[in-house]
Parts: sequence; C-alpha cells; structure tokens
Amino acid sequence: MAASTPPRAGTRPASAATLAQLAELNQRLAWKPAARLQVEGLSIGYSTLRGRFHAVEDISFEVPAGTNLGLVGESGCGKSTVIKALMGLQPANTSVSGRALLDGQDILGLDDRGLRDIRWNSISLITQSAMNSLDPVYTIGDQIAEAIRAHERVSRATAWARAEEMFALVGLPAGRLYEFPHMFSGGMRQRAVIAMALALNAGMLLADEPTTALDPIMQSQIMTRIRGIHAHMRRSMILVTHDIAVVAETCENTVVMYAGKMAESGPTADVLERPLHPYTMGLQNAFPRLPVPGAPRQPLISIPGVVPNLLLPPPGCRFASRCPFATDLCRTTAPPVVRHGAQVATCHHTDRSEEFRAAAARPETWRNMRGAA
Amino acid sequence: MTDRPTIAPDAPAVIEARDLKTHFQGHTGLINAMLGLKPPTARALDGVDLRIREREIVGLVGESGCGKSTLGMSLVRMYQPTGGQILYRGDEITKAVGRQLKDYRRQAQIIFQDPYSSLNPRLTIGQVIEEPLIIHGIGNAAERREKVIKAMELVRIPAADNIDRYPSDLSGGQRQRIAIARALVLEPKFIVADEPVSMLDVSIQASVLELLDELSRDLGLAVLYISHDIATVGYICNHVAVMYLGRIVEEGKAEDVLTRPLHPYTQRLMAAIPRMDPGEATERVELRGDVPSPLAVPPGCRFSSRCPYTTPLCEAVEPDLSDQPSGQRVRCHIHDDRAARAHPELTPPRPGLVTETADAGILVETLDHA
Ligand SMILES: Nc1ncnc2c1ncn2[C@@H]1O[C@H](COP(=O)(O)OP(=O)(O)OP(=O)(O)O)[C@@H](O)[C@H]1O
Ligand SMILES: Nc1ncnc2c1ncn2[C@@H]1O[C@H](COP(=O)(O)OP(=O)(O)O)[C@@H](O)[C@H]1O
Ligand code: SF4
Ligand code: SF4
Ligand SMILES: [Mg+2]
Ligand SMILES: [Mg+2]
Repeated sequence: MAASTPPRAGTRPASAATLAQLAELNQRLAWKPAARLQVEGLSIGYSTLRGRFHAVEDISFEVPAGTNLGLVGESGCGKSTVIKALMGLQPANTSVSGRALLDGQDILGLDDRGLRDIRWNSISLITQSAMNSLDPVYTIGDQIAEAIRAHERVSRATAWARAEEMFALVGLPAGRLYEFPHMFSGGMRQRAVIAMALALNAGMLLADEPTTALDPIMQSQIMTRIRGIHAHMRRSMILVTHDIAVVAETCENTVVMYAGKMAESGPTADVLERPLHPYTMGLQNAFPRLPVPGAPRQPLISIPGVVPNLLLPPPGCRFASRCPFATDLCRTTAPPVVRHGAQVATCHHTDRSEEFRAAAARPETWRNMRGAA
Repeated sequence: MTDRPTIAPDAPAVIEARDLKTHFQGHTGLINAMLGLKPPTARALDGVDLRIREREIVGLVGESGCGKSTLGMSLVRMYQPTGGQILYRGDEITKAVGRQLKDYRRQAQIIFQDPYSSLNPRLTIGQVIEEPLIIHGIGNAAERREKVIKAMELVRIPAADNIDRYPSDLSGGQRQRIAIARALVLEPKFIVADEPVSMLDVSIQASVLELLDELSRDLGLAVLYISHDIATVGYICNHVAVMYLGRIVEEGKAEDVLTRPLHPYTQRLMAAIPRMDPGEATERVELRGDVPSPLAVPPGCRFSSRCPYTTPLCEAVEPDLSDQPSGQRVRCHIHDDRAARAHPELTPPRPGLVTETADAGILVETLDHA
C-alpha cells in the first residue's frame, strides 16, 4: 500500500470548461430512461468437485421500467447466483440458460465487449461485500472517475467532478475521494460503492444485500439514499435482501426463492399480506417485528429443518421436508406454477392458502414438524 | 416465546457493573514519543452501571462501535476493566486473579456472533463441547461425556447422531447451538450472547432466540443479549439498555424503551428500523454522521454533535441518568432539569425544539440535487 498519505484536500475548484462539460454530462445521464428487465426460464448450473447442480432453476420474473423488485429467501437459495448471471459475473464452467431481456436485448449471452458496454452504463451492481467491488490499489476517486470515462467521453476533471457529486449524494465528503478503500469504515465503503453504481445513472440497479451486517442507523441511511435516488430519478432496481421489512418499504414487486426455484412472486402487498406459498408464510412468521404498545408479544416461529442439498434435490416439492402442509402428492410430484390474479406460486395446494395462513400463524403448526426434517 | 417472566425489582443481581470503564491505550507514534506526548486513550467503555438478575435477559443495543462488545468482554473478564467494579453475586471480581478468576470464568460465559469460525473445525462436536470441562479439570472421561450429552440435549441437538460429527457437517443454526452448548456445559450463571443470531437466516434465528429464552427461564440464567437487530430484542428481553459512545443513555423495560423511547438518540435508533407495512416508507429524520471516536469524546452530552435539540448546555455539561415517571432511566437534559438549574446562564434544550446549533445539516436531507 502507498506509504504516504494522499492529500486530504477538499474540492479542487473546477474550471469553467469543466463545469460546462459536467452540466452537459449530467443532463445526458439524466435523460437515460429507466430500464425494463424480463427474465424468462433462467437456469444456472455450477460444476463443483462433487458434481454439477442447478443453483437456479427455471426462474421467470419481470421488472417493469421504473419499479423495484425484491428478491428474498434464505441464504444459499440462489439469489446472488441470479444477480451474478445478470451481470455476466458467473464463474467459468457455469451453465446459464434462459433469457434476460434488458430493454429487449438478451444480456445473458453477451461477450466481453458486450458486457463492458452495458456494465455500470445500463446495469450496475452493489454487492454484498463492498470491499470486493473496490480495487485496493487505486483511490476511490480514481475508480469512480475511470468507470465514468470508460463510457462517457469527458475529461478527467469532469469525471472527477461528477464523482464529487456522487459522493455528496451518499453523504461522503469530497476530500475522501483521494483515499484508498482500506481507509474507509465498512459503512463508508458501502456508500462509496453505491456512489460508483449510481455514477452513470444506469437504468437498472442490482443491489445484492447492500446493508446486511451494518447497524440499523447505517442501514437506514443507506436504504434511504438508495430509495430516494431511485424514486427521484425513476430508475429500476432488483433488491436482494433477507429483511422483508425493507422489501415492504421499497419494492413494488417481490420474488420469493427457495432452493433455486421460485416459490412465489407478485405485488409486494399481496405476497406479504396474503401469501400463497407456505414458505412465504414461514418467512413472515420468523421475521421479528417491533412490539406494538399495549399488545401482547407475538410468538416468533422458526421454520424447522434446513434447505435441501441441491446436489440431490428431493423428487417432489423442494419445501416438502419443512412444510407443515405437505401431502403425499407434494413428496412425489413437483408442484405446478399456479397463478392467482397478479400473484404466482409454485405449490400443489394454493387453493387452500387461506386455511394454511390461519394455521401457519400458530406456533404448534411448525413445532409439530420438528424431527420430521 | 411470549411474555417474559416478571422479575422482582429487589431480586438480587447475578452480575452488576458499577461505573465500569475499559479504556484502551493507543500506540505511541514516533512523533508523539519524541514530543513526549502520551498515546491517545480510547474510552470504549466509559462508566456503565448495569444489573442483571436471575432469569433476566437484558438487551444491549446501539450503533457499531459504541462499546457493546467491550462491555460484554469486560463483564466476563476477557478484557481487564480500567476502572469501576464488577460484582458477581455481590462479590467483587473486578481484579480477581488466579483461582478466583478461573472460578469466575466458569460462571460467566460468552457466545460470539460467527457460528462458522468460532468452533475448532478439527474437533468433533463432542470434543468441542468437552474442551472447557477439560480446561477447568472437571470430572473424569465418563462424567464429562455425560455432561456433554446433557448440554446437547439442552440445545436440542440429538447427541447420539451428532456427538462424533464435525462442526462443518452442521448448519449455521445448529453450529450456533453447539456454541451455546459449549458455554452451558460449565453450568454458568451468566451468559453474554454477542450478536448470536446476526449471521443466521431469519428462518432459523427464531429457534436460537427461543432457546436462549427457555434456558434463562429453566436454568435461571442471567443473560446479556447484544444485538443490532432491535426487533429481536423485543422478543426475548425483559430490560433494554441503549449505549452511545461508551455509556448507557437510556434503559428500562423492553416495551417502554422500544415503543416509547425518551432519549433523542433512542428515538432515532427506533425510527431507523424499517416497518412492515408495504409501501409505507416513513419519512425519516436521518441521523447524520458517525459516532464520534472514543479517542476524542466530546465534552458535555456525548450525543450533542448529532442531536437536533443541542443547546449550549448540552455542549458544556454531560447529563446524568435520571429516573423518569414512566420507569425508564434517561441521560438527557430535556428530561432532567438539574443541570439547567445549576447553570442558569446556559440555554437548556427543550422537547421538540430543533435548534440552530444543531441545524447545520443534521436534519432531513432532500435529494433534490440528484
Ligand atoms: N482492543 C481494542 N483496542 C483499541 N480499541 C478498541 C479495542 N476494542 C474495541 N476498541 C474500540 O472501542 C470502541 C467500542 O468497540 P466495541 O467492539 O465494543 O463496539 P460494539 O458496540 O460492539 O460495535 P459492533 O456493533 O460493531 O460490534 C470502538 O471504537 C473500537 O474501535
Ligand atoms: N461459484 C460457485 N460454485 C459452486 N457453487 C456455488 C457458487 N456460488 C454459489 N454456489 C452455490 O449455489 C447455491 C446458491 O448460492 P447463492 O446464489 O450465493 O445463494 P444466496 O445469494 O441466495 O445466498 C448455494 O448452494 C451455493 O453454495
Ligand atoms: S407443494 Fe406441498 S410441500 Fe410444497 S409448499 Fe405446497 S403444500 Fe407445501
Ligand atoms: S437534548 Fe442535549 S442532552 Fe439531550 S440528547 Fe440532545 S444533546 Fe444530549
Ligand atoms: Mg447471496
Ligand atoms: Mg460488537
């Protein structure tokens, strides 16, 4: 690492030419339309020492232009795998099939050049571990400015000025653009990555657990920024999180994944208030809520068992070993995708969802499952 | 996991901290050494009073870096406090050494956040749980095995199937239960659980919280539960303490602190938590900036650099904890006029009155310049 501390100067005064170019750049970026993304039949297979397996199987969803989609589910169920494939970041030897149309263009089969063209520019990413998206040997400012210059023909000074604006947007002082990633605290790094992801005002933002592991104040600061920027500029976003309260606040639509498959999807209000799939009901119950003044404490109910081994997926419904409502049919036959209005669920018994919802709210329903898994 | 058992206010404390301080000595840089300057001191834990009684779970919340883990580590004597006292069942153990310290460490255990790295991967689960017994020279092999099996039963991991497996064969939730079994095998009376579920999926964290709740009831354990996830605190805690920059700024019954917070910091901490109503992103007053460094603790109220109600009194005089009619204890001049009466020349803060001193960028940020 560099031995000397980089200058902790504030903003360099920008020249009139830079300011003019910056105004032009900002205008051009502001005109970018929000993107629409249609994912159809997406399957992703990893090859490992112990064999090949599908980490994601036949997922379909749509993100209408200017809306946010929440992607939720337990860890290991394939959320990051979907996001990486959309960015073309899957490891070698990964098989990807299906289509992902970004404003009509399939982005799954793109070559390196094609990927370079869309990354940051049309589709950008905030990852789970901000440190991995930053290069430790360059200053943060250089990294943002270079990302801008890779797509826009502007001077270095203009790109830097835009980076300063982005830093202001995420609440970081411009002087800190001169610092290296290791000099930032976890929360500041996460904000720097957000600044980078927003720098080119891409029509589609992928945010993979942008606030997991941060304290509540930091989480709220970062989500408020992401949300504010998105609402203001009418961008589209896929937000991966296991915090369903954040989804409830942020996303118009929600996809619930379980063991590589789509369990349920639809408008967030419907999915969270009237879930059709028992897994969604289980996630709802397990999610801790703040106490309500005067009301008795609600029980917190865990979902017994664990996600099945994807190398040897069970024959019927993948949730059957943990589902309190599983029938023989569930254990032998893969459930169909059933549509109820705008809501879709992969379950044999969606017609009994009302009865299930009532039962799922009782701790005994899940407790009696113990030992089954 | 429903309402917690009520704890008599005069029940004796299992563990008690009195004005407890743990300061860390920074490194002396070369220049400082040449100038003869003392290295800076990090006042990570700076005067905390806390009591935890039998069957009581006390929640400890606050931003990253406010000193929660330092308090937990100091209470179990993994850090040596630099001031104040720790009483275990009335006996002072703050400076205990040798035999007395070893005895205390049997009674006071800590569980950490990361169930993936906190268990030695080369030991079987049985060996992992047995290890503390060996360290403390307890029992012969057969007796130890019996204790291990009993501890595994307590955490609901069937011993027969699992005792000879390795931690890597288990899920995160199961590993965290093994870590709890390891802490329980010594039959402690006090447990610090430092973010025990924050690395676990919501679907399984409930089972670990439920377990802590049951153990405290059944074994009469006193538990300090440290967490960023304030909603979980509402489920298992009797009492909640909110820390800011090394001190407790508010404490009281869990319901009161979580639903009717009085301290401006607690109010903002609670407002930061997302609510479950779809589409209802509450307009939040954002708390700007970071917790000041414990190397440079501001004079006066520690929250004054971020508080919207700050006045000259706040910046000059640190408030004491004061008892409120609602039962909470709060460290803020708005709720305690003793300092204002002692310093009539300094303007005191008033409820809801956002001050000019504070207005410099603390309040609502508009994103108009986006
Ligand atoms: N061994 C140490 N030496 C020097 N400073 C320390 C040491 N341990 C902690 N600190 C400092 O003390 C302060 C409190 O740290 P602590 O780990 O107690 O925070 P915390 O509240 O547990 O935070 P988090 O929520 O991130 O776990 C921090 O500023 C930290 O940098
Ligand atoms: N590079 C990889 N090679 C092989 N398996 C992987 C790889 N990345 C993820 N997996 C596996 O794919 C599944 C889905 O993982 P991931 O998409 O990271 O889940 P999530 O983001 O929902 O937690 C898991 O079983 C995980 O272990
Ligand atoms: S298909 Fe059967 S096992 Fe699967 S979620 Fe529906 S009811 Fe449960
Ligand atoms: S009003 Fe004053 S004393 Fe109370 S929290 Fe704010 S700064 Fe501190
Ligand atoms: Mg992931
Ligand atoms: Mg900590």
